[in-house]
Amino acid sequence: MAVSDTQAVAATGRSGGLAVPSPLVILKKYYSVLLLIIVWEVVARLNLVTPFLLPSVSSILKGVYKATLEADLIRDTALTTYRALLSFCVALVIAVPIGISMARIRVIHWFFDPIVSIGFPTPKISFLPIFILWFGLFDRPKIFLATLACTFPIVTATYLGTMGVDKYLLWSARNMGTSENSLLRKVIFPATLPQVLNGAQIAMPISIIVVIVSEMLMGGGGLGNYIMVAQRFADSVSVFAGLLVISVLGYLLQKILEKVRALVLHWHEETQHESK
Amino acid sequence: MENICAIRNLTKVFFVERTGEYVHALDRIDLDLNRSEFLILLGPSGCGKSTLLFMLSGLDHPTSGEITFTEKSHDNKRLTCTVFQEYALFPWRTVIDNVAFGPEMRRVRKRARYREAERYIELVNLTGFETRFPNELSGGMRQRVALARALANDPEVILFDEPLAALDAQTRRVLQTELVSIWSKTKKTFVYVTHSLEEAVLLGERIVLMSSRPGRVKEIIDIADIPRPRSTTNEREVKVLAMLAEHIAAEVDKSMRREREL
Repeated sequence: MAVSDTQAVAATGRSGGLAVPSPLVILKKYYSVLLLIIVWEVVARLNLVTPFLLPSVSSILKGVYKATLEADLIRDTALTTYRALLSFCVALVIAVPIGISMARIRVIHWFFDPIVSIGFPTPKISFLPIFILWFGLFDRPKIFLATLACTFPIVTATYLGTMGVDKYLLWSARNMGTSENSLLRKVIFPATLPQVLNGAQIAMPISIIVVIVSEMLMGGGGLGNYIMVAQRFADSVSVFAGLLVISVLGYLLQKILEKVRALVLHWHEETQHESK
Repeated sequence: MENICAIRNLTKVFFVERTGEYVHALDRIDLDLNRSEFLILLGPSGCGKSTLLFMLSGLDHPTSGEITFTEKSHDNKRLTCTVFQEYALFPWRTVIDNVAFGPEMRRVRKRARYREAERYIELVNLTGFETRFPNELSGGMRQRVALARALANDPEVILFDEPLAALDAQTRRVLQTELVSIWSKTKKTFVYVTHSLEEAVLLGERIVLMSSRPGRVKEIIDIADIPRPRSTTNEREVKVLAMLAEHIAAEVDKSMRREREL
């Protein structure tokens, strides 16, 4: 009885999802990162290299704290988050219909397929000079560029997902008198959703990467710009502080996306296995 | 016996792109469906029995010949509905929403379609599982959902494409019995494709024996008078089984000889 009780508690603890995990669980999951931080701190404190090349973790954390008080870092973090998220969402809205209609309509496939095959492997950041010329210097070129970069993986994933919809699902839906319109909304779209979200999970880091890199190259605020400014002032603590915030931001956005996925695909086998 | 569907001179030819050949899947099929009968389409694999089922469902069209239902199909009346071996349930819908899918497509109001769905869920003995998702169910239960979903469309004919072939022997037995009871309760016409002789004898009223490629109707065996519940060990059933086995063996033999010649 006692055993089954603890098992039940453990199970609810895991499937709760939103509950804050215990420190032990965090330690177990991220011990390699913690180990790295400890080694870093020790190396930095032993003065093997100058603090300029490798500031200690504690001084970086202090730097983050100080910069946060000055509101610089908060503003730049907000700016980067806004750009990355907006690009990601716009890309989702554009790419999903393209992907689905590519799979369903021959003419659209004929039009987009070559564009996608050429455009996907092209590094979108190389469009930056042109985008600056076209869209100016502040938000717009960065958002457009990141949107462009995110569109390709989502289009491809959606297209493949739509092509791979189980033919028996389509047959039985048609056999029950489903109109083409309902077929799209009630069968094809939900059946494609897992793949769409795969594409989204690939696109999210791309969005952050493109936004950061274009901020580094063209200024106009944001975390990429924050790092470049700090570098110009030879302020290595701030460079690392910016880096730290970027990696935390990327991690958080990815985690949020994972939660959204679990929520949307609550019917999916993968989600249910996870919670068991 | 009331005729509800006439298949006349139906031929289906497939073009196989890879080899550039034409394959005669069905050749001049003549067949009548009677109201409320349990018709078995039996034959070796590749005899076109599933193709025939597809023509009946309207998902595919014959190359020549015709299929005529006495009743007309319209928005609120499906003539046929298919139960596939692959279940083909919508994994993002719960059991009740799967069953209510057909009524939903016919724009039946929510409460009415749930009431309807509930009735069919009870009929297939799945009460209590309404809010489960398909991947939380066993194969046998999924096939019950598929059957309830087909029934909820209230079609004239329910088509079965080897629905129990993927299940274990135990579950198959149980479901065979339930199928017969649901058939006698609903008075629907069942057209049932199988390659299992036992299944044909246990379930069917008429058995349509098909020859291998090109698929033709070789013989129609009427076993409606064998009393139910049936068993594969009763005298009459054993006799029919032996006869079917002989036919099928001859067909398989024939097709294998032909393959060797090619």
